[in-house]
Amino acid sequence: MNLRHVRLTFVKELREALRDRRTLAIMILLPLVVYPLLSILAAQVAASREKKRDERPSTIALHGPAREALADHIGQNPTLFVLLPAGTAADVESGRLDALVEADNADQDRWVVLYDASRDESRIAEARLGEVLAKVLPDGCVPRFVVEKRSLASRARVGGYLLSKALPLFVVLMVLLGAFYPAIDVTAGERERGTLETVLSSPIRRTDLMLGKVLAVAALAALTGVLNLASMAITLMQILRLGNHSIVLDVPWGHALASSLVIFPAALLFAAAFVALGATARTFKEAQTLLLPAYFLTVAPALAAAIGEYRLAGIAAWVPGMNVTLLARDLMLGRTGLPGTLATLASTLLFSALALALAARIYDSERLVAPAPARRLAGSPGHGTNAGDALVLFALAFLMLYFVFLPIEKRHLVTGLLISEWVGLLGLVALYARMSGQRLASVLALTWPPPRVWLGAALIGCGAWAAVATLSEWLLPAPKAMLEELRKSLVPLDGSRGFFATLFLVALSPAICEEALFRGPILRGLRTRLGPGSAVLLQAALFGLFHLDVYRLIPSTLLGVLLGYLALQTGSIVPATIAHFCNNAVLVTLASFRLDQRMEHMSHRATTLLVMASLALTASGIALVGGLGRGRKM
Amino acid sequence: MPEPLAVLDSASKSFGTVRAVVALSLSVRGGEIYGLLGPNGAGKTTALRLLAGLLAPTSGRAHIAGHDAKTAAAKGRLGFLGGSTGLFARLTPREVLDYFGQIYNLGRKEISRRVAGLATSLALQGILDRRCEGLSTGERQRVSIARTVLHDPPVLVLDEPTGGLDVLASRFLRDFVRGERERGKAVLFSTHYLAEADLLCDRIGFLHQGRLLCEGSPAEIRAHTGKGTLEEAFLALADGCGGPP
Repeated sequence: MNLRHVRLTFVKELREALRDRRTLAIMILLPLVVYPLLSILAAQVAASREKKRDERPSTIALHGPAREALADHIGQNPTLFVLLPAGTAADVESGRLDALVEADNADQDRWVVLYDASRDESRIAEARLGEVLAKVLPDGCVPRFVVEKRSLASRARVGGYLLSKALPLFVVLMVLLGAFYPAIDVTAGERERGTLETVLSSPIRRTDLMLGKVLAVAALAALTGVLNLASMAITLMQILRLGNHSIVLDVPWGHALASSLVIFPAALLFAAAFVALGATARTFKEAQTLLLPAYFLTVAPALAAAIGEYRLAGIAAWVPGMNVTLLARDLMLGRTGLPGTLATLASTLLFSALALALAARIYDSERLVAPAPARRLAGSPGHGTNAGDALVLFALAFLMLYFVFLPIEKRHLVTGLLISEWVGLLGLVALYARMSGQRLASVLALTWPPPRVWLGAALIGCGAWAAVATLSEWLLPAPKAMLEELRKSLVPLDGSRGFFATLFLVALSPAICEEALFRGPILRGLRTRLGPGSAVLLQAALFGLFHLDVYRLIPSTLLGVLLGYLALQTGSIVPATIAHFCNNAVLVTLASFRLDQRMEHMSHRATTLLVMASLALTASGIALVGGLGRGRKM
Repeated sequence: MPEPLAVLDSASKSFGTVRAVVALSLSVRGGEIYGLLGPNGAGKTTALRLLAGLLAPTSGRAHIAGHDAKTAAAKGRLGFLGGSTGLFARLTPREVLDYFGQIYNLGRKEISRRVAGLATSLALQGILDRRCEGLSTGERQRVSIARTVLHDPPVLVLDEPTGGLDVLASRFLRDFVRGERERGKAVLFSTHYLAEADLLCDRIGFLHQGRLLCEGSPAEIRAHTGKGTLEEAFLALADGCGGPP
């Protein structure tokens, strides 16, 4: 590595980006101008509303014994209350009254305050009445104690808690946004401006070039994050102070500073990933199209981390976007654990390095300077499946599953499953083949491989499940109750469905119909745009997502990788179908004969032996199918 | 006779099923200007990109000053001006030249000295500190030429360098290229302006559908085809291949 070239490229890209108005607007204008402006506006509105609320007396009515007991106390506070002679619950609902105090119908000694929690004025009336009621004691009684509410959390801790709810997510979003346009600019933008050829014809290594670009984008993204964090922290506290005088919080500046450190690994990761993606695009517009899904894919786990009370441990520490959000939250709260922090940093660095290597590889390939491939018109005779078709097919299948077939499955599992598989998946592929003017066999890659491949596929299908299950259990263990529920619904042991009927429903149907879609047009379509490894990984991820269950995401994705490999390696969908059938058939058999329940109590040694046997079977299958050479047949 | 500095040896390049260049052999020596001529899609740009190390030949070899064109050693000895050459729009010409000078491992003082020299010879004095996005086409091309020759490479590969330039700017550039020849550089450039090639080139290669139809000095080609101009000669050669030029 030539560090001088890395530094040169870093400085050059940074200089160019900082002279770009669009980058400056997102990085500086947004945090430094927009948030304070919003803050001032919000604070002024809040303060003015609060002042009005404070000045306005609450309009109330008192009924029965409450009137006798409270009228005097109410009368002593004319600035707080306007007492009407009568009123009803309907008056409170309509807004004529802010609150009404009356005796409970069943127990005249029990008073009820009726108010409308959806109106601020009514809530204030309820609070004011609460204070008055607390002072009213039966005749002859003397208060024996005073109740004082006291939070054990320091003001700084409360401030940290409030900040931890919002700021980590916003900061991650801002870092993402900060990386977005610069990443496109240094890759697709450079290509569009015609400067790429010049740079590539000079004696600079692709890795040095890409590292310089990634570091420049990371620096800009980090700067965006830092500016946003500072501006938003101050703005948020300003809103809290001005919005409600009773809430006075301190910013835990030490924790906030520690939390801001998360910006740097996050910026590096997002920069590397975006630069890698941007490098594949020919134009600025194409890069935007590619990066936008990646942006939302990263936002989703970050959002989940912000909303859910996840711990920074296990797989959560390895999910990009989620891990940094959780780490920022924990740092803000001052409760960071070393394992979670190390896992977050290690995974972020690992993913960054992988993305950087991918970007360098893309820049090393000729596709950046080779002429664009001729595009065929969709719908024209002989139109092959492309990546766009693949994604549209996935989206359609997903939407139909979610909005049409899942509700049917809820009502009647067997009917819903059969319809979703044979109509929603195979039917969709058949319809696509017809509309695109292709033969169904061609869309499916339905060719017959030699017997050796059949055997290899069967070995993979029969062998891989144990390794897949063990790895999934290790990464994200599913709750036992959920597993039991799934087992009961799919493989009932009460004699309501025969073994072969279950085999057809749970093994054969998915093997045919899911393979028809995922290892058919989706994999083939993605392969037109991506390399074999990337195409297999992406279709496997889509296959995992399609199962709509966070605990089935990992096993389904791992299985999808194996099935994708089989399809790509053999150029046929048949081996993947065989392997899929064998995999599901083994699981059905284990569940039908209650063997899976016995396996749950296996010793550690027995589990290890089982996984080793599983891996040996899978490796034998792969060897029979044709090894790990790059699939070029699809 | 000096050794050839830019060599394509039976080089072919295919993109999928499209054969852009087919078994192309040519060589350019120091102190020589070689013009690669042909219509759009003839394979000129692909041939030059093979020499610039941007593409690797499907078969055959591409060498610069004895080094494989893909290597850093070859790239360090080459000045390449691509057809779609742009400049870093938000940098000034001085910053662009400084960046490339350092990439080519020139020292700061050396870069300053060369930039000053090129500013005089390419009339860049008034524009060195303006941003490239504000320069005219001719000014940008002059900056690109400065970038191409900044490290004083023995081989210059120029892809349609006069495209889009007015008469004065084209003439200025031709004079500059002649000057580089006088300094012993091997210059290979592509154009589809046949008259320009006639004025400038020591040797010419006619490329058509990826194949070299004919090679020689302008006078030799005119004599070989029995035509009065290079344009007529080229049309006659293309007709002989049975394809539209």
